[in-house]
Amino acid sequence: MNRATKHLLFAAAGLLAISAVAGDLKIGVAEALTGGAAQYGVPIRNGFQLAADEINAKGGINGNKLVLVIEDEQGKKEEAINVFKKLIFQDKVLMIFGPTLSNSMFAAGPVANAAKVVAFGTSNTANGISEMGPYIFRNSVMESDVLPVTVSTAVKHYKIKKVAVIYGNDDAFTKSGYDVFKKVLEDQKIPVTTTETYVKGDVDFKAQLTKIKATNPDAVICSGLAEEAATLMVQARGLGLKVPFIGGNGFNSPKLFEVSKTAGEGTFVGSPWANTNPTPANQHFVEAYRAKYGSEPNQFAAQAFDAMTIAAAALKTVKVTGNLANDREALHAALPKVAISGATGPFKFRQSVGKDGKLAGYDADQKPFIYVIREGKFVLFTGK
Amino acid sequence: MEAFADFWATYSTLIFTVGIHALLALSLWLTLSCGLLSLANAAFMGIGAYTAALLTLHLHWPFPMVLAAGGLAPAVVALVIGAPTLRLSGVYLAMATLAFGEVTRILVLNLEITGGPEGLNGIPLLTTWWHIVLILAAAGYALARLRRSRMGRAFEAIREDEVAARMMGIDVEGHKLAAFTLGAVLAGLAGALNAHSTFFISPREYGFENAVDILTMTILGGISSLIGPVLGATILTLLPELLRFLHAYRLAVNGLILIGVVLFLPTGLWDSRRLGQMLRAWRTRWEGKP
Repeated sequence: MNRATKHLLFAAAGLLAISAVAGDLKIGVAEALTGGAAQYGVPIRNGFQLAADEINAKGGINGNKLVLVIEDEQGKKEEAINVFKKLIFQDKVLMIFGPTLSNSMFAAGPVANAAKVVAFGTSNTANGISEMGPYIFRNSVMESDVLPVTVSTAVKHYKIKKVAVIYGNDDAFTKSGYDVFKKVLEDQKIPVTTTETYVKGDVDFKAQLTKIKATNPDAVICSGLAEEAATLMVQARGLGLKVPFIGGNGFNSPKLFEVSKTAGEGTFVGSPWANTNPTPANQHFVEAYRAKYGSEPNQFAAQAFDAMTIAAAALKTVKVTGNLANDREALHAALPKVAISGATGPFKFRQSVGKDGKLAGYDADQKPFIYVIREGKFVLFTGK
Repeated sequence: MEAFADFWATYSTLIFTVGIHALLALSLWLTLSCGLLSLANAAFMGIGAYTAALLTLHLHWPFPMVLAAGGLAPAVVALVIGAPTLRLSGVYLAMATLAFGEVTRILVLNLEITGGPEGLNGIPLLTTWWHIVLILAAAGYALARLRRSRMGRAFEAIREDEVAARMMGIDVEGHKLAAFTLGAVLAGLAGALNAHSTFFISPREYGFENAVDILTMTILGGISSLIGPVLGATILTLLPELLRFLHAYRLAVNGLILIGVVLFLPTGLWDSRRLGQMLRAWRTRWEGKP
């Protein structure tokens, strides 16, 4: 063997050794960073980035660094599919976080499922997401797990006999929230005095509120997003409708107080997260987020942060071999076993059953917190 | 071969989307060729998509029949609404068709069977590349033949001068309705193909924004020939994907490119007359030299 060949061989062996030691763990992030859904997608991206940077600063996972491949899916279904395919087949990531909207997940989820790559949604709350297949995960708590607790707590606290309902009927999120409220009210046998609707972007709710006031309910249940809900509550107070509100997850945004100030006093909201939750894990997250981005985190950022922690916990138990298909499968097998206590509290997965009766993907098995609004702030409700 | 498999796995949906957008641009080209500025084609696409998806999901029809129904359903609707609205022209027709699009969207939003704002999910993947190629080729051939036919000439006459066309004995109302309805068929087919290649449809995909997207593709490409709309659809679909490396700036750059095209090529990218002139000028310069 001549010297040149020897050198070459050594160099090759060296390269192999290096790539085996400092292997990067590529994780895809497909979120809506432009367009209407960017208001959710950007904090989500920040949450992932914050968690990944913290993990890497502590030396990564078993010596391997997390590398995020971030792509914009614009909140559109075709874009979500394109981005998923790019991440799976070209960037060859281990798993994908996202997409932002449930609609996009319905389009892109089957792609990941067919390619046997984990698609992990952190903001998809629609029914049927995890039923698409065994590779679909989410840590976003479904409304059907939160609202029964919210309603029963509020009913007990205010001794509610009958309620009025108002919801946005042109939005997938608020409409499915309404469907859940309707079912909960039927189950808990609470009569509904009237059901009113509005559409996204409405600014005048006085007609609906006047009708609601005439039926004299003990509380108003509202399935809406923070922007509309805030205006709605201000106008309700203006019309002399003094009863408390009960809200869905859409209320859970600092935006609610920018408009409503103290009009939301006494409103009950159930959510997996609020910035005032005093656990150390959450306080650490809130402070780190503020320090890095100079803005208040929201629930979406918190869920993304926790999702990355969950994935990291799973990756810790996986022996990365460099064989992409095997590594993806090992990660898929490790994820359901993860249980952590993060910014949104104790978390574990619960397997769902698909339309065909077979075991499918994984939902969040998490207890919601019930918050009540006091002086323009979410305060953890403790039964008083 | 492996490189191609990787490429196809990554970009097949994008290529499908190019084909479907080309079909949509051609559908609008057809209505524009008769001088009708219609914003209803996004709604027709939606009607086709929902009809096709519901037939697949609930009645399990075979795919060719589903496609046929996806093209026919919007045609029936076009016949019904076309009769009164096509009396309008110019901006007024645009407004009427815009209103029709909104009514359709709100109807789909409030119906039980369409899944309301949550849309329909779990639509099986039935569209293959040859479906799109076949339909696009058939549509292209039919439209090319149509242009040179009596009907196509009549469309052109109506577009240039409606009164003059009527004086020449052309049935203006009938031809307008035909252009509008045939356009609806193509848009409906595009909708059916799209529904069966993306697993999911929802009402927000067929709103005003999409109507304008279709119009942009057609006008940007140029309406003087059939190549224009196809070119416009291809570029507008591929451009955001090709600019992906620009990350946060890509939509801004995308917009700048479009502004540039509109400013410097007001008749569209593919203007056969301009291209012909360029070719002639180039030839004379070439041949003029000793």
